[in-house]
Amino acid sequence: MTPKIKLSKDQIQKLALSSIGLIVLVYVYLNFFLGPLNKSRASMEATIADLQQKLGSSKGEMARADSLQREAGTATTRYAALQALAPEGAPIAWFPPRMKAFFANQQIDKAGARLGNSTALKEPELEAWSNYSWLIDLPQADFSTLGNAIAQLENAEPLLSINKINIRILPDQPQFQQVELTAYTVMQKK
Amino acid sequence: MALHLNLLHEEITEQRQRQRDPLKLGTFALIAIGALMVLFYVFKAYQTLETKNRLSGVQHEWSGIEAKVTAAQKRSRELTTMVSTTRVLDSMIEKRFLWGPLLARLSRCVAPNVQLVNVAGSAEEKLVSITIDGIAAGREPRAAAEELRQLLSEQLGQSYAETKVEFKTLEDLDTLINVSGTNMPVARYSINVTLSPKPPEAVATAPVTSAARVKR
Repeated sequence: MTPKIKLSKDQIQKLALSSIGLIVLVYVYLNFFLGPLNKSRASMEATIADLQQKLGSSKGEMARADSLQREAGTATTRYAALQALAPEGAPIAWFPPRMKAFFANQQIDKAGARLGNSTALKEPELEAWSNYSWLIDLPQADFSTLGNAIAQLENAEPLLSINKINIRILPDQPQFQQVELTAYTVMQKK
Repeated sequence: MALHLNLLHEEITEQRQRQRDPLKLGTFALIAIGALMVLFYVFKAYQTLETKNRLSGVQHEWSGIEAKVTAAQKRSRELTTMVSTTRVLDSMIEKRFLWGPLLARLSRCVAPNVQLVNVAGSAEEKLVSITIDGIAAGREPRAAAEELRQLLSEQLGQSYAETKVEFKTLEDLDTLINVSGTNMPVARYSINVTLSPKPPEAVATAPVTSAARVKR
Protein backbone atom coordinates (compact mmCIF):
# COMPACT_ATOMS: atom_id res chain seq x y z
CA MET A 1 0.00 0.00 0.00
CA THR A 2 1.45 3.35 -0.99
CA PRO A 3 1.86 5.79 1.74
CA LYS A 4 -0.36 8.84 1.56
CA ILE A 5 1.50 12.04 0.83
CA LYS A 6 0.22 14.72 2.98
CA LEU A 7 0.93 18.18 1.62
CA SER A 8 0.82 21.24 3.72
CA LYS A 9 -0.77 24.47 2.44
CA ASP A 10 2.66 25.96 1.93
CA GLN A 11 3.76 22.96 -0.11
CA ILE A 12 0.63 23.13 -2.28
CA GLN A 13 1.32 26.82 -2.99
CA LYS A 14 4.91 26.03 -3.91
CA LEU A 15 3.79 23.21 -6.19
CA ALA A 16 1.24 25.45 -7.92
CA LEU A 17 3.85 28.16 -8.39
CA SER A 18 6.32 25.60 -9.71
CA SER A 19 3.75 24.30 -12.18
CA ILE A 20 3.04 27.82 -13.42
CA GLY A 21 6.79 28.39 -13.65
CA LEU A 22 7.18 25.21 -15.68
CA ILE A 23 4.43 26.24 -18.11
CA VAL A 24 5.99 29.70 -18.53
CA LEU A 25 9.39 28.14 -19.06
CA VAL A 26 8.09 25.78 -21.74
CA TYR A 27 6.25 28.66 -23.44
CA VAL A 28 9.35 30.88 -23.43
CA TYR A 29 11.50 27.99 -24.63
CA LEU A 30 9.22 27.17 -27.54
CA ASN A 31 8.41 30.71 -28.61
CA PHE A 32 11.59 32.62 -27.96
CA PHE A 33 14.30 30.01 -28.38
CA LEU A 34 13.31 26.95 -30.39
CA GLY A 35 10.71 28.71 -32.60
CA PRO A 36 13.00 31.41 -34.05
CA LEU A 37 15.76 28.85 -34.48
CA ASN A 38 13.50 26.54 -36.48
CA LYS A 39 12.09 29.45 -38.45
CA SER A 40 15.54 30.69 -39.34
CA ARG A 41 16.63 27.19 -40.37
CA ALA A 42 13.52 26.70 -42.52
CA SER A 43 14.14 30.03 -44.21
CA MET A 44 17.75 29.11 -44.89
CA GLU A 45 16.68 25.72 -46.30
CA ALA A 46 14.25 27.49 -48.62
CA THR A 47 16.97 29.91 -49.76
CA ILE A 48 19.34 26.97 -50.37
CA ALA A 49 16.70 25.15 -52.43
CA ASP A 50 16.02 28.32 -54.41
CA LEU A 51 19.70 28.95 -55.06
CA GLN A 52 20.32 25.34 -56.01
CA GLN A 53 17.45 25.50 -58.48
CA LYS A 54 18.91 28.71 -59.87
CA LEU A 55 22.35 27.10 -60.10
CA GLY A 56 20.90 24.11 -61.90
CA SER A 57 18.96 26.19 -64.41
CA SER A 58 21.80 28.70 -64.84
CA LYS A 59 24.08 26.04 -66.25
CA GLY A 60 21.46 25.19 -68.85
CA GLU A 61 20.89 28.88 -69.48
CA MET A 62 24.55 29.52 -70.14
CA ALA A 63 24.82 26.52 -72.43
CA ARG A 64 21.72 27.71 -74.31
CA ALA A 65 23.16 31.22 -74.68
CA ASP A 66 26.39 29.76 -76.04
CA SER A 67 24.61 27.57 -78.56
CA LEU A 68 22.31 30.46 -79.52
CA GLN A 69 25.35 32.65 -80.03
CA ARG A 70 26.81 30.07 -82.42
CA GLU A 71 23.53 29.53 -84.27
CA ALA A 72 22.74 33.23 -84.56
CA GLY A 73 25.96 34.06 -86.36
CA THR A 74 24.26 34.58 -89.73
CA ALA A 75 21.35 36.45 -88.20
CA THR A 76 23.75 38.73 -86.29
CA THR A 77 25.58 39.66 -89.46
CA ARG A 78 22.32 40.14 -91.32
CA TYR A 79 20.84 42.25 -88.53
CA ALA A 80 23.94 44.44 -88.41
CA ALA A 81 23.73 44.89 -92.19
CA LEU A 82 20.06 45.89 -91.99
CA GLN A 83 20.80 48.31 -89.17
CA ALA A 84 23.65 49.82 -91.14
CA LEU A 85 21.27 50.72 -93.96
CA ALA A 86 20.03 53.67 -91.94
CA PRO A 87 22.69 56.10 -90.72
CA GLU A 88 22.48 58.00 -87.44
CA GLY A 89 20.13 60.95 -87.25
CA ALA A 90 16.58 61.75 -88.19
CA PRO A 91 15.55 60.04 -91.46
CA ILE A 92 14.22 63.30 -92.87
CA ALA A 93 17.75 64.71 -92.61
CA TRP A 94 19.45 62.07 -94.69
CA PHE A 95 16.85 60.18 -96.75
CA PRO A 96 15.88 62.96 -99.24
CA PRO A 97 19.54 63.83 -100.04
CA ARG A 98 20.29 60.13 -100.40
CA MET A 99 17.45 59.70 -102.90
CA LYS A 100 18.50 62.81 -104.80
CA ALA A 101 22.07 61.52 -105.05
CA PHE A 102 20.90 58.03 -105.97
CA PHE A 103 18.68 59.18 -108.86
CA ALA A 104 21.30 61.71 -110.01
CA ASN A 105 23.70 58.79 -110.19
CA GLN A 106 21.14 57.01 -112.38
CA GLN A 107 20.95 60.02 -114.76
CA ILE A 108 17.65 61.25 -113.34
CA ASP A 109 17.97 64.83 -112.17
CA LYS A 110 15.84 67.00 -109.93
CA ALA A 111 14.62 64.11 -107.82
CA GLY A 112 12.94 65.15 -104.61
CA ALA A 113 11.68 63.19 -101.62
CA ARG A 114 9.46 64.34 -98.82
CA LEU A 115 8.25 62.60 -95.74
CA GLY A 116 4.61 61.56 -95.72
CA ASN A 117 4.28 60.17 -92.24
CA SER A 118 5.83 57.70 -89.86
CA THR A 119 3.93 54.98 -88.10
CA ALA A 120 4.70 52.22 -85.66
CA LEU A 121 4.77 48.70 -87.05
CA LYS A 122 2.16 46.24 -85.84
CA GLU A 123 4.57 43.30 -85.51
CA PRO A 124 5.66 42.94 -81.86
CA GLU A 125 9.19 41.98 -82.99
CA LEU A 126 9.55 45.38 -84.66
CA GLU A 127 8.65 47.60 -81.76
CA ALA A 128 12.05 49.30 -82.06
CA TRP A 129 11.45 50.00 -85.75
CA SER A 130 9.23 52.49 -87.55
CA ASN A 131 7.64 52.68 -90.94
CA TYR A 132 8.27 55.90 -92.87
CA SER A 133 6.24 56.87 -95.88
CA TRP A 134 8.00 58.94 -98.55
CA LEU A 135 6.77 60.73 -101.64
CA ILE A 136 9.50 60.65 -104.26
CA ASP A 137 9.07 62.99 -107.16
CA LEU A 138 11.00 62.59 -110.41
CA PRO A 139 9.91 65.49 -112.65
CA GLN A 140 11.73 64.34 -115.75
CA ALA A 141 12.78 60.76 -116.44
CA ASP A 142 13.21 58.54 -119.45
CA PHE A 143 11.19 55.30 -119.14
CA SER A 144 14.05 52.82 -119.60
CA THR A 145 16.36 54.82 -117.32
CA LEU A 146 13.56 54.97 -114.80
CA GLY A 147 13.03 51.21 -114.96
CA ASN A 148 16.73 50.56 -114.36
CA ALA A 149 16.86 53.11 -111.57
CA ILE A 150 13.86 51.59 -109.79
CA ALA A 151 15.36 48.11 -110.10
CA GLN A 152 18.66 49.42 -108.71
CA LEU A 153 16.85 51.20 -105.89
CA GLU A 154 14.93 48.06 -104.95
CA ASN A 155 18.17 46.09 -104.88
CA ALA A 156 20.15 48.69 -102.97
CA GLU A 157 17.48 49.41 -100.35
CA PRO A 158 16.01 46.09 -99.21
CA LEU A 159 13.92 47.78 -96.53
CA LEU A 160 12.31 50.11 -99.04
CA SER A 161 9.16 49.04 -100.84
CA ILE A 162 7.40 51.06 -103.47
CA ASN A 163 3.71 51.04 -102.80
CA LYS A 164 2.43 53.37 -105.51
CA ILE A 165 3.83 54.46 -108.80
CA ASN A 166 2.50 57.03 -111.20
CA ILE A 167 4.17 57.64 -114.55
CA ARG A 168 2.80 60.46 -116.70
CA ILE A 169 3.97 61.59 -120.06
CA LEU A 170 5.15 65.21 -120.27
CA PRO A 171 2.91 66.95 -122.82
CA ASP A 172 5.65 69.16 -124.26
CA GLN A 173 8.42 66.51 -124.09
CA PRO A 174 6.85 63.12 -124.93
CA GLN A 175 10.20 61.35 -124.61
CA PHE A 176 10.22 62.10 -120.91
CA GLN A 177 7.90 61.11 -118.11
CA GLN A 178 7.01 62.65 -114.83
CA VAL A 179 7.10 60.07 -112.06
CA GLU A 180 5.74 59.99 -108.53
CA LEU A 181 6.56 57.15 -106.21
CA THR A 182 5.13 56.40 -102.78
CA ALA A 183 7.65 54.32 -100.92
CA TYR A 184 7.82 52.88 -97.42
CA THR A 185 11.02 52.35 -95.53
CA VAL A 186 11.42 50.41 -92.32
CA MET A 187 14.02 52.01 -90.08
CA GLN A 188 15.18 51.51 -86.54
CA LYS A 189 14.10 54.21 -84.11
CA LYS A 190 17.15 56.21 -83.05
CA MET B 1 11.68 -17.71 13.74
CA ALA B 2 13.40 -14.65 15.14
CA LEU B 3 11.29 -11.76 16.32
CA HIS B 4 12.20 -8.29 14.98
CA LEU B 5 11.20 -5.27 16.88
CA ASN B 6 11.21 -1.99 14.98
CA LEU B 7 11.96 0.60 17.57
CA LEU B 8 12.77 3.31 14.95
CA HIS B 9 9.45 3.16 13.15
CA GLU B 10 8.72 6.86 13.36
CA GLU B 11 12.18 7.89 12.26
CA ILE B 12 12.07 5.57 9.25
CA THR B 13 8.65 6.87 8.22
CA GLU B 14 9.89 10.44 8.47
CA GLN B 15 12.93 9.54 6.38
CA ARG B 16 10.72 7.96 3.74
CA GLN B 17 8.48 11.03 3.69
CA ARG B 18 11.53 13.26 3.26
CA GLN B 19 12.66 11.11 0.33
CA ARG B 20 9.21 11.39 -1.30
CA ASP B 21 8.95 15.09 -0.74
CA PRO B 22 7.02 16.38 -3.78
CA LEU B 23 8.90 19.66 -3.81
CA LYS B 24 12.19 17.85 -3.99
CA LEU B 25 10.91 15.47 -6.66
CA GLY B 26 9.44 18.37 -8.61
CA THR B 27 12.75 20.20 -8.48
CA PHE B 28 14.55 17.12 -9.79
CA ALA B 29 12.00 16.74 -12.56
CA LEU B 30 12.35 20.41 -13.47
CA ILE B 31 16.11 20.14 -13.59
CA ALA B 32 15.85 17.01 -15.77
CA ILE B 33 13.36 18.64 -18.15
CA GLY B 34 15.48 21.81 -18.28
CA ALA B 35 18.58 19.78 -19.09
CA LEU B 36 16.70 17.94 -21.86
CA MET B 37 15.46 21.23 -23.27
CA VAL B 38 18.95 22.71 -23.28
CA LEU B 39 20.32 19.61 -24.97
CA PHE B 40 17.61 19.69 -27.60
CA TYR B 41 18.24 23.40 -28.19
CA VAL B 42 21.95 22.79 -28.60
CA PHE B 43 21.21 19.99 -31.08
CA LYS B 44 18.89 22.26 -33.08
CA ALA B 45 21.38 25.13 -32.91
CA TYR B 46 24.05 22.83 -34.29
CA GLN B 47 21.74 21.82 -37.14
CA THR B 48 21.01 25.49 -37.87
CA LEU B 49 24.71 26.29 -37.85
CA GLU B 50 25.30 23.48 -40.30
CA THR B 51 22.52 24.79 -42.55
CA LYS B 52 24.01 28.26 -42.32
CA ASN B 53 27.38 26.94 -43.45
CA ARG B 54 25.72 25.12 -46.33
CA LEU B 55 23.83 28.29 -47.29
CA SER B 56 26.98 30.39 -47.25
CA GLY B 57 28.66 27.79 -49.52
CA VAL B 58 25.78 27.85 -52.01
CA GLN B 59 25.63 31.66 -51.84
CA HIS B 60 29.34 31.85 -52.54
CA GLU B 61 28.95 29.52 -55.52
CA TRP B 62 25.97 31.55 -56.78
CA SER B 63 27.72 34.90 -56.35
CA GLY B 64 30.55 33.55 -58.49
CA ILE B 65 28.23 32.52 -61.28
CA GLU B 66 25.46 35.13 -60.96
CA ALA B 67 27.11 37.83 -63.05
CA LYS B 68 27.84 35.34 -65.82
CA VAL B 69 24.29 33.99 -65.73
CA THR B 70 22.76 37.47 -65.81
CA ALA B 71 25.00 38.37 -68.74
CA ALA B 72 24.10 35.09 -70.50
CA GLN B 73 20.37 35.68 -69.91
CA LYS B 74 20.65 39.23 -71.24
CA ARG B 75 22.62 38.09 -74.29
CA SER B 76 20.16 35.26 -74.85
CA ARG B 77 17.23 37.70 -74.77
CA GLU B 78 19.03 40.07 -77.14
CA LEU B 79 19.87 37.25 -79.55
CA THR B 80 16.33 35.88 -79.51
CA THR B 81 14.93 39.36 -80.18
CA MET B 82 17.49 39.93 -82.91
CA VAL B 83 16.82 36.59 -84.61
CA SER B 84 13.05 37.11 -84.58
CA THR B 85 13.42 40.73 -85.78
CA THR B 86 15.70 39.63 -88.61
CA ARG B 87 13.23 36.90 -89.53
CA VAL B 88 10.35 39.38 -89.70
CA LEU B 89 12.42 41.91 -91.64
CA ASP B 90 13.53 39.21 -94.09
CA SER B 91 9.95 38.14 -94.60
CA MET B 92 9.00 41.78 -95.27
CA ILE B 93 11.85 42.04 -97.76
CA GLU B 94 10.77 38.84 -99.51
CA LYS B 95 7.14 39.93 -99.65
CA ARG B 96 7.93 43.28 -101.32
CA PHE B 97 6.58 43.76 -104.76
CA LEU B 98 9.40 44.68 -107.12
CA TRP B 99 8.43 47.21 -109.76
CA GLY B 100 11.68 47.00 -111.75
CA PRO B 101 10.89 43.64 -113.42
CA LEU B 102 7.28 44.70 -114.07
CA LEU B 103 8.38 47.91 -115.80
CA ALA B 104 10.87 45.90 -117.87
CA ARG B 105 8.10 43.53 -119.03
CA LEU B 106 5.79 46.47 -119.68
CA SER B 107 8.39 48.16 -121.89
CA ARG B 108 8.72 44.94 -123.94
CA CYS B 109 5.01 45.04 -124.78
CA VAL B 110 4.88 48.56 -126.19
CA ALA B 111 4.99 48.57 -129.99
CA PRO B 112 6.02 51.72 -131.92
CA ASN B 113 2.41 52.51 -132.84
CA VAL B 114 1.30 52.44 -129.22
CA GLN B 115 1.93 55.15 -126.68
CA LEU B 116 1.48 55.05 -122.95
CA VAL B 117 0.25 58.33 -121.55
CA ASN B 118 -0.20 57.42 -117.94
CA VAL B 119 0.74 54.39 -115.88
CA ALA B 120 -0.59 54.30 -112.33
CA GLY B 121 0.00 51.31 -110.11
CA SER B 122 -0.41 50.36 -106.52
CA ALA B 123 0.86 47.29 -104.71
CA GLU B 124 -1.02 45.87 -101.77
CA GLU B 125 -0.02 42.76 -99.87
CA LYS B 126 -2.02 40.37 -102.05
CA LEU B 127 -2.95 42.36 -105.12
CA VAL B 128 -1.19 44.67 -107.51
CA SER B 129 -3.36 46.84 -109.69
CA ILE B 130 -2.16 48.98 -112.57
CA THR B 131 -4.08 51.31 -114.82
CA ILE B 132 -2.49 52.04 -118.17
CA ASP B 133 -3.87 54.90 -120.25
CA GLY B 134 -2.60 55.55 -123.74
CA ILE B 135 -3.26 55.87 -127.42
CA ALA B 136 -2.83 53.35 -130.24
CA ALA B 137 -2.49 54.23 -133.89
CA GLY B 138 -2.83 52.08 -137.01
CA ARG B 139 -5.19 51.17 -139.74
CA GLU B 140 -7.07 49.30 -137.03
CA PRO B 141 -6.20 51.25 -133.89
CA ARG B 142 -8.47 49.06 -131.74
CA ALA B 143 -6.59 45.99 -132.97
CA ALA B 144 -3.31 47.67 -132.01
CA ALA B 145 -4.67 48.32 -128.53
CA GLU B 146 -5.91 44.73 -128.30
CA GLU B 147 -2.48 43.51 -129.34
CA LEU B 148 -1.00 45.49 -126.47
CA ARG B 149 -3.53 43.98 -124.06
CA GLN B 150 -2.75 40.45 -125.24
CA LEU B 151 0.99 41.04 -125.02
CA LEU B 152 0.62 42.41 -121.53
CA SER B 153 -1.47 39.40 -120.53
CA GLU B 154 1.09 37.00 -121.99
CA GLN B 155 4.20 38.74 -120.64
CA LEU B 156 2.88 39.42 -117.17
CA GLY B 157 1.25 35.99 -116.93
CA GLN B 158 4.70 34.43 -117.27
CA SER B 159 5.93 36.13 -114.10
CA TYR B 160 2.88 36.73 -111.96
CA ALA B 161 -0.07 34.67 -110.85
CA GLU B 162 -3.75 35.50 -111.29
CA THR B 163 -2.99 38.06 -113.97
CA LYS B 164 -6.00 39.83 -115.43
CA VAL B 165 -5.64 42.39 -118.19
CA GLU B 166 -8.88 44.04 -119.20
CA PHE B 167 -9.95 47.09 -121.10
CA LYS B 168 -11.58 49.73 -119.00
CA THR B 169 -12.29 51.93 -122.01
CA LEU B 170 -11.43 51.75 -125.68
CA GLU B 171 -12.69 54.50 -127.98
CA ASP B 172 -11.82 55.85 -131.42
CA LEU B 173 -10.66 59.44 -131.65
CA ASP B 174 -11.54 61.79 -134.49
CA THR B 175 -7.96 62.97 -134.96
CA LEU B 176 -5.35 61.38 -137.23
CA ILE B 177 -1.65 61.17 -136.34
CA ASN B 178 1.36 60.70 -138.54
CA VAL B 179 3.19 57.43 -138.05
CA SER B 180 6.20 56.88 -140.33
CA GLY B 181 4.84 59.41 -142.83
CA THR B 182 1.33 57.94 -142.96
CA ASN B 183 -1.72 59.47 -141.35
CA MET B 184 -3.45 56.92 -139.24
CA PRO B 185 -6.56 56.88 -137.08
CA VAL B 186 -6.11 56.78 -133.34
CA ALA B 187 -7.88 55.02 -130.49
CA ARG B 188 -7.65 55.91 -126.83
CA TYR B 189 -7.55 53.07 -124.39
CA SER B 190 -7.45 52.45 -120.71
CA ILE B 191 -6.34 49.03 -119.50
CA ASN B 192 -6.73 47.66 -116.02
CA VAL B 193 -4.18 45.09 -114.90
CA THR B 194 -4.51 43.13 -111.72
CA LEU B 195 -2.08 40.46 -110.60
CA SER B 196 -0.89 38.59 -107.58
CA PRO B 197 2.63 39.50 -106.44
CA LYS B 198 3.44 35.79 -106.03
CA PRO B 199 5.07 33.93 -108.90
CA PRO B 200 2.67 31.60 -110.82
CA GLU B 201 4.17 28.33 -109.51
CA ALA B 202 3.84 29.45 -105.87
CA VAL B 203 0.12 29.98 -106.32
CA ALA B 204 -0.27 26.74 -108.28
CA THR B 205 1.31 24.66 -105.54
CA ALA B 206 -0.61 26.33 -102.73
CA PRO B 207 -3.83 24.26 -103.05
CA VAL B 208 -1.81 21.01 -103.17
CA THR B 209 -0.07 21.93 -99.94
CA SER B 210 -3.32 22.82 -98.21
CA ALA B 211 -4.95 19.61 -99.49
CA ALA B 212 -2.03 17.59 -98.12
CA ARG B 213 -2.47 19.30 -94.76
CA VAL B 214 -6.15 18.39 -94.70
CA LYS B 215 -5.32 14.77 -95.54
CA ARG B 216 -2.95 14.55 -92.55
